[in-house]
Amino acid sequence: MISTLTKKNNFDIVFDSQKVFRIILEAMSNPAKIIDLGEHTDDLFCAYPAFLATAMTLLDNEVSYHVCGNDPLAGEIASLTLAKQDRIEAADFVFVFAPDEIEKVISSAKYGTLADPQKSATLIIYDDGDPIHPLTFSGPGIDGFRTIQATSTVKAAITLRDKQEYEYPQGIDFLFISEAGELFAVPRLITVA
Amino acid sequence: MGIEHRKLTNNHYNFAFLDEGSKREIRRATLKAVAIPGYQVPFGSRELPIGRGWGTGGIQLTLSLIGPEDTLKVIDQGSDESVNAVSIKKFVGLCTQVKTTTRTHEATLIQTRHRIPEIPLTQGQILVLQVPIPEPLRIVEAREEITKQMHAEKDYAPIWLQLYESLVKYNKVTIASEYPCMVEGRYVMNPSPIPKFDNPKLHKSSCLYLFGAGREKKIYAIPPHTEVISLAFDDVPFEIESFAGQQCRLCGSGNTYLDEVFDAQTGERFHQCSDTSYCKEVVDHAQ
Repeated sequence: MISTLTKKNNFDIVFDSQKVFRIILEAMSNPAKIIDLGEHTDDLFCAYPAFLATAMTLLDNEVSYHVCGNDPLAGEIASLTLAKQDRIEAADFVFVFAPDEIEKVISSAKYGTLADPQKSATLIIYDDGDPIHPLTFSGPGIDGFRTIQATSTVKAAITLRDKQEYEYPQGIDFLFISEAGELFAVPRLITVA
Repeated sequence: MGIEHRKLTNNHYNFAFLDEGSKREIRRATLKAVAIPGYQVPFGSRELPIGRGWGTGGIQLTLSLIGPEDTLKVIDQGSDESVNAVSIKKFVGLCTQVKTTTRTHEATLIQTRHRIPEIPLTQGQILVLQVPIPEPLRIVEAREEITKQMHAEKDYAPIWLQLYESLVKYNKVTIASEYPCMVEGRYVMNPSPIPKFDNPKLHKSSCLYLFGAGREKKIYAIPPHTEVISLAFDDVPFEIESFAGQQCRLCGSGNTYLDEVFDAQTGERFHQCSDTSYCKEVVDHAQ
């Protein structure tokens, strides 16, 4: 029996990674600015290409990750990046697909130390739902204030983060990505009015 | 796009010289640096075909950022034509084939040593600064583990004391470049050896500033619209260099940072703009 092998993903690890990184960098530098990642993830054939593209851009065997609520994606990330799967408490990147697990993730994610605040988790959250909550953000990267219509997931995540009362520079950083590949970031210094 | 660009680039090197694992590590450090403005994120600095201390931190940042659609400008002490600037521009060009420019407003990515361009940078532009000594506390404390703890505890008394001693001894703060500044009220940061004249350009800027120290293995950042205040006492405000009464001998500008040039044969001293591309644009515009 002859089986046909097809190349599953045409994501160019050099050029597509560079483009995706620049989009993530722009999002981190301009918090709460919504940026379209979708057009750069067309070469990935999976259920959540924007998430896989982010993983392929940032993850490798030097970092660890945890995926909540999406076992197929966890496997894809493992096979494509060779990053280590780890507990939430130890993971450098946590991908969250289950809204009911956000509280557990935020209360468990590592938030660095005063001396090494970079040893903290980046939470990449599936932003699903209707954008019904106007949220006004301020902080570095925002000229004054920036207001966006956010989903209940975003509002809950930021509320739960604030409840942790991290002592800056400790903290966690958020990337919210919708199914359509729209991305925005909320780094640790950004506050909601 | 990727495949088309591969055909154009030098086959002996990966695009942008660095291997993808190195770029990923630098990119992760860059994102953390942006999230914690002014904090020096450690990274595994790579070997490059130039010596450490000659801009390898800036080059590594540039190589991990650059893509086929970028337009690159490189300056050294404000000049597009100095050896360091030309060499770095050639090196990056060799392994990326990106478009280069001397015009500040055309560039999406600017690598610089010791100056910030005169033209205000805009949203979307990234300025990469080469940094020889990223630690602002090194002048008061030699041990890395101690300065790290001082940053953790926001213990900046020794750097304030250094400013005070300077005032007592000389009646003014005598730091000419690498003038320390406070970022978002939390981290004291070394803005790299830019003159004091350029410090105010860091405050609430529209562009992203990235700082790379290759020898010291540190990356730090100032995102757009971030508060960057040069250290000063309430009764002794921060002052930049004054060029009162001087103007550029080429373009006539009196509001730019001027280099003093000495002609040993005639004994004549004159001034000209440190930012050569700005100077040339003013001259071209006047003609």
